[in-house]
Amino acid sequence: MHQFGPDPWICGLVWAGPYSTQKSETRFVRPNLSCTHTRYPYPKPVSSGRTINKSFPVVSSLPCRLQPCFDFPLFAPVASPLYCISPPLSMADVDEEDYVYFGTPIEREEEISSRKRKAIAEPGTLRSLPPWKQEVTDEEGRRRFHGAFTGGYSAGYYNTVGSKEGWTPQTFTSSRKNRTEVKKQNVYNFLDEDDLKDIGGNTLETSMQYDTFGFTAAEFARKKAEEEQKKRPSAIPGPAPDEIVLPASSSIGMRLLMKMGWRQGHSIKDSNAESLSEIRREARKAFMALSGNKAEPDLSEKDADGTDVFPDMSIDALRNSENTPVYVLNPKQDMYGLGYDPFKHAPEFRDSKRLRESKSREKNRSKVHMGSLLSSNSKKYAPGFGIGALEELDVEDEDIYASGFDYEQTEVELEPSKAVSSSSGDRMLRLEHKKQGSLLGFKLASDSDYKLERFYPPAIPSNFRPIHKFAAPLDQTLKNYNSAPPPDAQPPEDPNLRLLIEGSAAMVARCGKSIEDLYMEKSKTNPLFLFLKSGAEGHDYYVRKLWENKQKFVDNMKPAEKLTAENRGRILGERPLASTTSGVNDVSVKAREVINTESSHGDTFTKPISLADLPDSAIKQFKHDPAKQERFEQFLKEKYQGGLRASGTISRTITSTMSEADRARERLDFEAAAEAIEKGKRTIQISAPSTDHTKDLLGFGEDRFVSSTFIENSETKMEETKVVYPRREQFEWRPSPILCKRFDLIDPYMGKPPPVPRPRSKMDSLIFLPEIFKSSNKEDAKSPVGNSLEASKSGLKEVEAEPSASEADVAPTSPKNVERPVDLYKAIFSDDSDDEEADAGPSLNQEPNPVKSSEGANKTLNRLVAGDFLESLGKELGLEVPPDSRPGPSLNATISLPEEHKSFKGGDDRDNMSLTKVKEKESKDYGSTLDSSREKKRSHSKHHRRRSRTPDSDPDSGSDSDSHRQHRSRSKKRRDRRDRSRSQDSESNDEAYTNRKERRKKHRSRHREHKKKDYGEKNSDKKRRS
Amino acid sequence: MAGQSSGSEELAVNESEVLKGHEGAVLAVRFNRDGNYCLSCGKDRTLRLWNPHRGIHIKTYKSHGREVRDVHVTTDNSKLVSCGGDRQVFYWDVTSGRVIRKFRGHDSEVNSVKFNEYNAVVVSAGYDRSVRAFDCRSQSTEPIQIIDTFQDSVMSVYLTKTEIIAGSVDGTVRTFDIRMGRELVDQLGHPVNCISLSNDANCVLASCLDSTLRLLDRSTGELLQEYKGHKCKSYKMDCCLTNTDAHVVSGSEDGFIYFWDLVDASIVSSFRAHSSVVTSVSYHPKDVCMLTSSVDGTIKVWRK
Repeated sequence: MHQFGPDPWICGLVWAGPYSTQKSETRFVRPNLSCTHTRYPYPKPVSSGRTINKSFPVVSSLPCRLQPCFDFPLFAPVASPLYCISPPLSMADVDEEDYVYFGTPIEREEEISSRKRKAIAEPGTLRSLPPWKQEVTDEEGRRRFHGAFTGGYSAGYYNTVGSKEGWTPQTFTSSRKNRTEVKKQNVYNFLDEDDLKDIGGNTLETSMQYDTFGFTAAEFARKKAEEEQKKRPSAIPGPAPDEIVLPASSSIGMRLLMKMGWRQGHSIKDSNAESLSEIRREARKAFMALSGNKAEPDLSEKDADGTDVFPDMSIDALRNSENTPVYVLNPKQDMYGLGYDPFKHAPEFRDSKRLRESKSREKNRSKVHMGSLLSSNSKKYAPGFGIGALEELDVEDEDIYASGFDYEQTEVELEPSKAVSSSSGDRMLRLEHKKQGSLLGFKLASDSDYKLERFYPPAIPSNFRPIHKFAAPLDQTLKNYNSAPPPDAQPPEDPNLRLLIEGSAAMVARCGKSIEDLYMEKSKTNPLFLFLKSGAEGHDYYVRKLWENKQKFVDNMKPAEKLTAENRGRILGERPLASTTSGVNDVSVKAREVINTESSHGDTFTKPISLADLPDSAIKQFKHDPAKQERFEQFLKEKYQGGLRASGTISRTITSTMSEADRARERLDFEAAAEAIEKGKRTIQISAPSTDHTKDLLGFGEDRFVSSTFIENSETKMEETKVVYPRREQFEWRPSPILCKRFDLIDPYMGKPPPVPRPRSKMDSLIFLPEIFKSSNKEDAKSPVGNSLEASKSGLKEVEAEPSASEADVAPTSPKNVERPVDLYKAIFSDDSDDEEADAGPSLNQEPNPVKSSEGANKTLNRLVAGDFLESLGKELGLEVPPDSRPGPSLNATISLPEEHKSFKGGDDRDNMSLTKVKEKESKDYGSTLDSSREKKRSHSKHHRRRSRTPDSDPDSGSDSDSHRQHRSRSKKRRDRRDRSRSQDSESNDEAYTNRKERRKKHRSRHREHKKKDYGEKNSDKKRRS
Repeated sequence: MAGQSSGSEELAVNESEVLKGHEGAVLAVRFNRDGNYCLSCGKDRTLRLWNPHRGIHIKTYKSHGREVRDVHVTTDNSKLVSCGGDRQVFYWDVTSGRVIRKFRGHDSEVNSVKFNEYNAVVVSAGYDRSVRAFDCRSQSTEPIQIIDTFQDSVMSVYLTKTEIIAGSVDGTVRTFDIRMGRELVDQLGHPVNCISLSNDANCVLASCLDSTLRLLDRSTGELLQEYKGHKCKSYKMDCCLTNTDAHVVSGSEDGFIYFWDLVDASIVSSFRAHSSVVTSVSYHPKDVCMLTSSVDGTIKVWRK
């Protein structure tokens, strides 16, 4: 309204655009509508796309959606364009009133003030102003900047993107440091907040519809409810609790599931399984009720509570785990910190605690329980003092010195019968409680017709043995042959018959009765087999032969056939496995056996030993305790006769009065004793293990010092014959300097390099060696190596073996990861005026292949470091190390290097020499007073000697030049020459290259011309033809 | 408390004083250097200074947050050092009864602590398998040396002029020779509960948890003698030699005290001293006088 574009028709266009629903637009479009009307019938705008583009490039950048919207009214009647744009119009209708005023509207004060601030101009006055002075404001009076998409008439400077000063592209930043970043632009960059407000409806939002578990929905509903709560006055003062206000909201998925019978907290599964388990549980309950003797641990109660504690618990647990967990509010009853679970690492105590709690709740504790409860609940802390409020109770706070009496008391509590008796009372009460509350308005009948009949399990006769005995041994048939040898018979005269009889007898003996039957059948047709019939000729002989053969066969077969695992074990001296000795050949047993063998491989191997040849004194180790002695003997018998192990029936019956722990302890004791006997048999010095071991343990409970060695003791003690204690070992140990100072001693490692960690294995020593080596490079080449050598000489056990041998081995390979000191680098790469430098340096620089050169440099470095190290080592050892005594492979490498690698060789030597120089500078104990030039000379000559040995060194340096100057000049000359030739070469090369290029270009252009010509000719031909 | 053997005249087998004051177990009792006083510490988190000869309780030192396991006093009786369950070594001023410094560094309970000859270094042995040395002269509370070659809890530490000797549950007695810069490991094969040095410092007595005391020659590591008969299986207990090095003394878990002849390892005397575990024995450096402490909360002074 305030402003019109130069062409009102355009207004209409803008209006129809996708972003044109805004009020402010409608404002100034609206009065213009008549114009649009008049204009639409005009045929011209049909192809208007182009015209628009021409006149208003800004608009042309709009998405093409604009066009169809606009095209439509063109073929419609006059009114239709109106219709097309009617939706925004209808919205604008509300605002229309703004523009037709009668009287003066009463405006609110803040509105006035805000408008005043912006000096709002009346539309009329604004219109009178020149366009650049017209200022558009939004409804709040702020100056409104038109976005490019929504008009933009007052955008920028005179509707340009520039300013009064001109246009400067913002994206251009010319700075070395500030590189231009690729700016990502999207539509939103060009929208002001008003525009954004308009398209706000199109942004992504979460939908409640697919909120399956209703979390957000619930949250949302709660918030809403809260708001409502705030709005209206509630009957309950204060904020209502969430649980009350929370409206139920369930997602579609949930509702569907519910309709299908699913309930919250249940897993989605087939109900069949559920019912199955239900049935099973019921059956179990029934069984429990039937066999409900007191000795049964009261687990059924837990079952009734819903938590399953039964063998097939795993199944149930699995099923339960599928469920979506229902959050159950667990009232806090203990006094631990939030989230602290005292039974986190000992879940087995949780049950006992629960038991105790229920007991205390029911208040039917017996006297014993009272005591035990106290003692076990508060662990009996040491008397006389408490513990600070800020300290947690700890293990050390409990009274470890408590007498054994308390220990026994706790034992009493853990006894199953007591626990059950208490919990049975507990059960009764709970059941009662449950029954009373089971049905409202009903009372339990005092006497009912229905009585659960209980069947007690059948009484097992005392003489019943749960092992089946076969009436006759399985290999009875074989024994039959053993028992009655038939009388000897004369072989028949016919040798053929004899052979046949013997052969068939052998066959039958081997293959059994079936073959005989087969022969019998044959004999019906074949007279040859007549001997099979009793009474026939040769039958006696056959019988005899058969017996003989069978005997033989059995004799042969017995060891072979019977070489089962146990037999083999017996031969090899293995301890027989419990399950094999039971003699059951069941498949399932065998399967179990396999598992057993795997788990118990560790202790299956013992020396075969017979009880008989043991000295009596050895066996009678527990004389003071006849019962124990008996058990021990039983144990020995079992052990060496291959009976069932301690888990066997006999030992069980004997030790039934003992607790499981005691039995285990005793078993260990016996085991140790048995081993001692075994050992003692060899050494004839039997020392019985501490006989009162178990007594002690009973008296004072567990050992306070739990150490691995103590547990091992039982074994190590037995091995004492082998490993003699005490044993002395020596290690290097470094006291810290300050400690030495405080002890008023001289630091034995004063001024020596940092300690070498004690190597644990050969690998370690190998790993650590480069460290030594490094230090040797850094500080002085000698002392550390010497140190380690000295140390090795002084007999330090572990370090001893390695250094001299392995260092030499390792050094050539390892130095790659050794940090090289700076001086070394300097020595290699600095511009020394040395002649070698002059020789080698440039050639290095001029290396045509940079990759190769660096590789070579690395190689030389490695070699050099290794060589230097070896040299110093040799000096240390007092050996004469010839200067060219380098490891073979490296020498070979240098030899095999092609022409261009020769420079490395030179570099190498130079390095070596300069390194010696560095060494000389630094090492103090070296103390060489050689003057540097002499040193240089020496090394130089060394170098030459070495050089002359390399076979394909160029003749120039090969011919031994004595004076440095001469050498230098010569080498310089050579270098110059080489340089020059190379540069010339390159120049000529370049020339040739350019020449070639040009030639090629020419050729190509010529070729093109040819083609053109051809083409032209063809064309002309065509033309002519046409 | 009648001695059983003829050698009992030279042995402190007659009870002369009972020092009561500790609430709960007394874990250690030690004579000071000249034997005129003694220090005890216990489960009640206190240190107590006594005059054992007159049976007088002199002073109580309270600052420990947990039980105190060991205490040692400087040669000039001016400073104390104590350690225990609170993983710190407390450095006390004797007269004021204040803690001068708390040396930290141990990761676990500290079992034993000793001053060195010059009272400048405190060496402590802990359950964290380490022996740590602390400098008393600096302000730092951090250790100046950590020895962690042990495989198991270090039960007891002893210092000579040049060595640190420590016994560990890993069955070793380790001697760290500062002057030589070497570590001597004597493997005994059994957890070492306590070590004690003979007065001539030539032998080390190690109480092992197999109820055996072993006497080792320090220079060679040779086993000189084994002493058996008492019971020592699970508690931290002390052992020592008598002032003349003629006998070996140890407590027992059944409340007995045993005296062995040093050379032939025969039990010279054994008598019931306490109603419960004897945690500590300390022999007077010069006289025939012995201190024993027990879980029953008493300290007893024994004389000939």
